[in-house]
Amino acid sequence: MYQFNWRPVFDNFDLLLKGLGLAMAIALLSLAIGSLIGLAAAFGRTQGPHPLQWLTAAYVELVRNIPLLLIIYFVYFGLPLLGVSMFDNLWSFVLALALYAGAYLTEIFRAGIAGVEKGHIDAARSLGMTRLQVIRHVTLPLMARIVLPSLGNTLISLFKDTSVASAIAVPELTYGAIRINVNTWRVIEVYLVVAALYLATCYTIAGSLRWIERRWAIVQ
Amino acid sequence: MAKQTSRRGFLRSSALGLGAGVTVLAAAGCNSGGTATGPSASKLNEVLKRGTVIVGTGSTNPPWHFEDENGNLQGFDIEMARLLAKGLFDDPAKVQFVRQASDARVPNLQTGQVDVVFQFMTVTAQRAQLVAFSIPYYREGVGTLLRRDSAHAGALDLAKAKKKVKVSILQNVYAESLVHAAIPQAEVMQFDSVANAVLALDAGRVEAAAIDDSTVRWLVRQSPDKYKYGNYGWSPQTYAAAVRQGDTVWLNFINTVLHESMTGVDFDAYASGFEKYFGVKLAPPPVGFPVEFGLRHT
Amino acid sequence: MDRAPLGNCPVMPLILAGLPLILQGLLVTVTISLAVLLLGTLLGIVGSLSLLYGANVLRWCVRIYVDVCRSIPHLVMIFAIFYGLPALGLQVPAIVAGILALGLFCGAHMSEIFRGGVESIPHGQMDAAKSIGLTFAQRLRQVIFPQALGRILPAWVNTAVEIVKSSSLVSLVSVVDLTMAIQQIVGRTREALLFYAVAAALYFAINFTLSITGRRLEKKFAHG
Repeated sequence: MYQFNWRPVFDNFDLLLKGLGLAMAIALLSLAIGSLIGLAAAFGRTQGPHPLQWLTAAYVELVRNIPLLLIIYFVYFGLPLLGVSMFDNLWSFVLALALYAGAYLTEIFRAGIAGVEKGHIDAARSLGMTRLQVIRHVTLPLMARIVLPSLGNTLISLFKDTSVASAIAVPELTYGAIRINVNTWRVIEVYLVVAALYLATCYTIAGSLRWIERRWAIVQ
Repeated sequence: MAKQTSRRGFLRSSALGLGAGVTVLAAAGCNSGGTATGPSASKLNEVLKRGTVIVGTGSTNPPWHFEDENGNLQGFDIEMARLLAKGLFDDPAKVQFVRQASDARVPNLQTGQVDVVFQFMTVTAQRAQLVAFSIPYYREGVGTLLRRDSAHAGALDLAKAKKKVKVSILQNVYAESLVHAAIPQAEVMQFDSVANAVLALDAGRVEAAAIDDSTVRWLVRQSPDKYKYGNYGWSPQTYAAAVRQGDTVWLNFINTVLHESMTGVDFDAYASGFEKYFGVKLAPPPVGFPVEFGLRHT
Repeated sequence: MDRAPLGNCPVMPLILAGLPLILQGLLVTVTISLAVLLLGTLLGIVGSLSLLYGANVLRWCVRIYVDVCRSIPHLVMIFAIFYGLPALGLQVPAIVAGILALGLFCGAHMSEIFRGGVESIPHGQMDAAKSIGLTFAQRLRQVIFPQALGRILPAWVNTAVEIVKSSSLVSLVSVVDLTMAIQQIVGRTREALLFYAVAAALYFAINFTLSITGRRLEKKFAHG
């Protein structure tokens, strides 16, 4: 009969909490960097010159169809073998996850751009705004409300994806589970606790997002 | 009349009783497999009669047991099995290999599916309660694989390094303490596979890969231009062959074969396998006082 | 040939040398993906029917199952099953543990997809079917299933793409799939750019085909 022993897990709880914090930080950072990539790619895809449109389309299709793990391996193991080794394991992962997120965010922002009524754009152009000014003052603010739910879902997905960082020994939550000095008999306790932490965090993020959406809707 | 009958009867019944007793003893002697076995009942005889020895081994762990391009088994465990066959039949080819996973090593012996196991089996007290181990044929440990151009010579060197060194290791329960036993200040990076732990070394992500000493030797043997052998090994563990408990004749035979391959007539065969898979040229044992009892200096 | 060699010339022999391992890994990846999709679809059918028509208790259980699976990373589930089952006494091969773990996720996704597909059918259809006397089983088979299919198929295909990508995670429990095979080859040959490109191309080929099929199916059923 399996004997539960929670001591090893709770003795090392600080390790798990630190890992959770790091995972959250990585997710937010990747979302931020990925959004920059995604915005640029979305505008390039919809309004850029043809070669740029093709390039961004290729980027999105490529990255969305290959595993995140492969991208991580390429950045962490492959790049140094090709001479590029400035990123340590943490930043290699952030970069890989940002590239991965960027592809999904491109599509989200594309939908956002398309959701902005053309009337607003035309009005702004007729006032003499340049294309860049239109983007800054009209498109982006109007897009924000449209894309917010999707951004929130992306954040939750990215948070779950941080678990793959354990493959290159980034000390996030899953790696913490691997590291805790347990023999196989403590496996059940560790993974129950870790699963509970992921669950609690995902629900918290989802709840916060719903709260933000509601408040924004009221303000508007 | 009555006396004669009773004496004859007594003799007859005693003879019958004695005969029955002898038969029972003989039967008991022939059927006792759990305790001391006579030579005729030993697995040794069974194997000799069969003409091949059935050896349990693995197939996915160089340099111990792995397949070449044609699917044939090779490796140091395989070499030892062939030594045994040579000792039995004067023919190293008379081996039948049973490929088994690591967790089948003990059960396959206990059920008699294999005669002997050569499968980089670490000797532990827990396992010794279930199987009988031979004398050691290798002493494994943790070693460090370094890049050829590394400024360090081995684990002790790395321990003295000014900057915190990064060391990769296979994920396991004792990973941190294993590395810190030799390199106290190291940052330990656990990877899911030896391939990735070594790739991290190739890509310059870590200074050293802490892996099995034998694997270090094997990788250096294969790519001496890429790697070098870290000069300090620690955390010793003994590899030995395993047989089913209770058969002292078979165990003694295997011990004799192994012993003579490391110190006697079959040393050349052992040494050539050692060089082939570990890249180390062994010095032949000194002649004169038997080396296994420790060298005496005058 | 005395032409100056192209940068690519030494590529073919390298690829050929690694080809057996790559193909082996590819086979494992495809096998795992198919097994997971099969398991997931079966679980999804049971789950969606429970969510739609089951008793409250059953619905709650499936609801919890689906929500939990949505909040845990795939890798955590794989580790939990891979290390947890032996701790409970069940020795399973790594590949089976991976298929079980991913199958549970797939089942949760599929339950939602199938449920959504069925619920999107206008209620009028069900009422009309009931009024002409069809049994529940007949309604399911002749009215619901054909209409839901059109809405379900594209989402099913998208899930398939996610599963193929997640199958790479089993390499982290020592299953030699395409990702693990590529790592071993890169370790052996140091030809990172070439072989990561090969792996990417193979995954892309599988998934892009699935995506395109999904989009075509979406267009086909859009008018429905």
